Amino acid sequence: MKKKLSIYMPFINAGMQETTTYRANWIFMMLGNVLGCFVSYFIWNAVFISSGDSNMNGFTMPQMVVYIFLMFLTSTIISSGGTYDIGEEIRDGSIAMRMIKPISYNSTFMFQELGNKFMTCCILIVPMVIGVEIVRTIFIGSVQFNILGFLLYIVSCVFAYLINFFFNICFGFIAFIIKYLWGANMMKNCIVGFLSGVTIPLSFLPKTLEQIFLFLPFASLNYTPVMIYMGKYSGASLVYYLGLQVFWVLFFWALSKLLWKVALKHLSVQGG
Amino acid sequence: MIYVENLRKEFKKTIKEPGIKGSIKSFFKPQKEIVSAVKDISFSVEKGEILGFIGPNGAGKSTVIKMLTGILTPTSGTCTINGKCPTDDRKNYVKEIGVVFGQRTQLWWDLPLRETYGVLKEIYEVPDDKYHKRMAFLNEVLDLDSFITSPVRTLSLGQRMRADIAASLLHSPKVLFLDEPTIGLDVVVKDNIRNAIEYINKQEKTTVILTTHDLSDIELLSKRIVMIDKGSNVFDGTISELKNKYGQIRELHFETDTSDVASVLSYSEHFGFGKDDVSVESEGSSVKVRFNSSIVPVSDMLGYTLGKINITDISVKDADIEEIIRRLYKQGV
Amino acid sequence: MKQVKRLLRMHRIFVAQELKRMMEYKGDFIVGIVGFLLGQFFNMLFIWIIFSQIPDLAGWTLEQVVFIYGFSLVPKGLDHLLFDNLWAIGHFIVRRGDFDKYLTRPINTLFHVMVEKLQIDALGELIMGIALICITLPAVSIEWSFVKVLLIIIAIPFATLIYTGIKTATAAIAFWTKRSGNITYMFYMVNDFAKYPVTIYNNTVRNIITYIIPFAFTAYYPALYFLTGENPWFNVGMTVIISIIVMVIGVVIWNKGIKAYESAGS
Repeated sequence: MKKKLSIYMPFINAGMQETTTYRANWIFMMLGNVLGCFVSYFIWNAVFISSGDSNMNGFTMPQMVVYIFLMFLTSTIISSGGTYDIGEEIRDGSIAMRMIKPISYNSTFMFQELGNKFMTCCILIVPMVIGVEIVRTIFIGSVQFNILGFLLYIVSCVFAYLINFFFNICFGFIAFIIKYLWGANMMKNCIVGFLSGVTIPLSFLPKTLEQIFLFLPFASLNYTPVMIYMGKYSGASLVYYLGLQVFWVLFFWALSKLLWKVALKHLSVQGG
Repeated sequence: MIYVENLRKEFKKTIKEPGIKGSIKSFFKPQKEIVSAVKDISFSVEKGEILGFIGPNGAGKSTVIKMLTGILTPTSGTCTINGKCPTDDRKNYVKEIGVVFGQRTQLWWDLPLRETYGVLKEIYEVPDDKYHKRMAFLNEVLDLDSFITSPVRTLSLGQRMRADIAASLLHSPKVLFLDEPTIGLDVVVKDNIRNAIEYINKQEKTTVILTTHDLSDIELLSKRIVMIDKGSNVFDGTISELKNKYGQIRELHFETDTSDVASVLSYSEHFGFGKDDVSVESEGSSVKVRFNSSIVPVSDMLGYTLGKINITDISVKDADIEEIIRRLYKQGV
Repeated sequence: MKQVKRLLRMHRIFVAQELKRMMEYKGDFIVGIVGFLLGQFFNMLFIWIIFSQIPDLAGWTLEQVVFIYGFSLVPKGLDHLLFDNLWAIGHFIVRRGDFDKYLTRPINTLFHVMVEKLQIDALGELIMGIALICITLPAVSIEWSFVKVLLIIIAIPFATLIYTGIKTATAAIAFWTKRSGNITYMFYMVNDFAKYPVTIYNNTVRNIITYIIPFAFTAYYPALYFLTGENPWFNVGMTVIISIIVMVIGVVIWNKGIKAYESAGS
């Protein structure tokens, strides 16, 4: 195992270097996303004032603030760019070269992302969590931070990242059908953004839709970790949603393996 | 027609530190240093000349070309081409030059090649009648007809290079800059391209500045070379001057039936050669000896060799330019 | 005048090239348009769900909010359709050294970059924007007048210019930093503020998007004039003035940037 890991060290390193090299670019992207959070904040603020209710569909305004910023943090932690990388290789045909490489594509790619993530997490998690906790403390009047909840959140994020990773790889195979990856990816992001609760908490939807969306893999991406952090899931429901996450990890892992096989067969029939 | 004086270009560079710690450190506090890619270059070129511009990787060749074509603004120094400074009046200046970067293309990637020329015609404001004449001429020289209707992305590297050279010549520029025009091409295509460049130079008195790694380009095309290394001139003159100045190297080729030649012939000890002044390579019965003829005359070498071993065939040659330049690069002059 | 004529001719030629290119990749363009339509569709869904639970948003009706939102998509879509290539400057053209090409050609580099690509994806935004305006128009009770229609027609190209100017300025930063795509991205996130009535924000945000990063003039102010007929001098007049200021700043930064351009490779 140790030896195996050392093969991937260069990829982790490359991922970290990437973030460092274009650090200003990275910082601006994060700032842009934080600004997006503020847009949401002001809209929700107006919504809560206009509704006159202090609690809408199980959310109070302070909780909504926490929700918005945790969504941003979670999306950043679990983001994965597999769609492009696989898609590009399919498009230019270099995916055929993967057959002769001795190391697994999925792993090299994942380790490179982990390098990237490591940097992101080092820089982002601490200030974000502190910020969120300060907001919660001010509004509620006592410290809400719960170490167990936080650890469960991290575990849930790891599952969510794995789902996202394998899902994006699977989606990358769409390049066999749609050559315009950018457009395809955008469509995917819009749909996933809505179904995973980034646009609006799922509890705001009609109840039947909410139930369906909660079962779909997309809720396991952003919604589940955030709900866990906010303490909305506990006991049996906590176990259920974590179990559902594991199920989707396995599902997309198996699907990606299957698609690889199909794709390689397809390529060998085509003659590369 | 081209005058370059004390040209200098500096770049800022970030220093990377290895490892996790280095990554995090340089995320928060990147270290910068100033690197001079071109330190001090001066030369001049006459109208109608083909100048070979050579130097090892990272010597600053491309940087100089990019300053001459108005892409980069020099840190200091001047260059004047047709009496114009490239960055002062860029739009008018570039009408008089053609540029080809071997590693990039200026063709419209997704469209048939013909479309590129149609757009360039407008960009350079070439009138219709002139355009048709020009295309006929370029087609004759570079043989574009066979692929002019194909999308550019489907062209072979050789075709693409011919198409790119044609694109740079469409507006009949007075000066043509070619950066690595034969890179990655096979021998036949290289030959085609060299012939085309030579033909256009003769026909239209186009001044050509050419950088290349392939020294046969230089030997076949240009009478004069400027060599730079680490951002400074190291040589400026004709190829024969280069050979006279640095080319005291001769090659002795012979066939022998004596075995273990290396131990029998000890040139270094006998003549007191320095380390770089002599080298012996043997392969089966044929032996190649390179030596500096300014230290030991050819006749002495011949005498010594013939006295030591049994020779069946022998010849003496000038070292080729490639060998000279390789030695210059190695020694850093 | 001759210069302008030439630029227009060049623009036409580049657009013609792009249309030919599109014919080669028809499927892609449909995907792109549908993608953007879908994105806007989900945003509408968001607004609709919210309004199903509240009577109005800080005094604005659903139709008014949607009208402003729809209006914001028109200048945004126009800029996106015509001048999208500026994004590529900050993302990769400068970093890969591909900017060399523009510098060796005898036309203005900014003009060349802007007109070289036509981004058909933007039709998704334009279609949605126009559709939302048309749907909400009967419900927002507007007093029609000739002057009003004229002023709005004048406001739209200038509102577009605000986008183009900000994109030019932020893209040009790449000449120094190699990569500035995300600076443009950051500014575009600010633009999200302008899709909603600015009265929902606090004073700081309102002042920022009015006077510092003036995206409020791309949608809210002109749309407000359209809805209420109030203050044409500020709502439309300032749109014109500010767009010109922003574009001039963009061009100045661009021209300085070209001198600092470092190309790529040795």
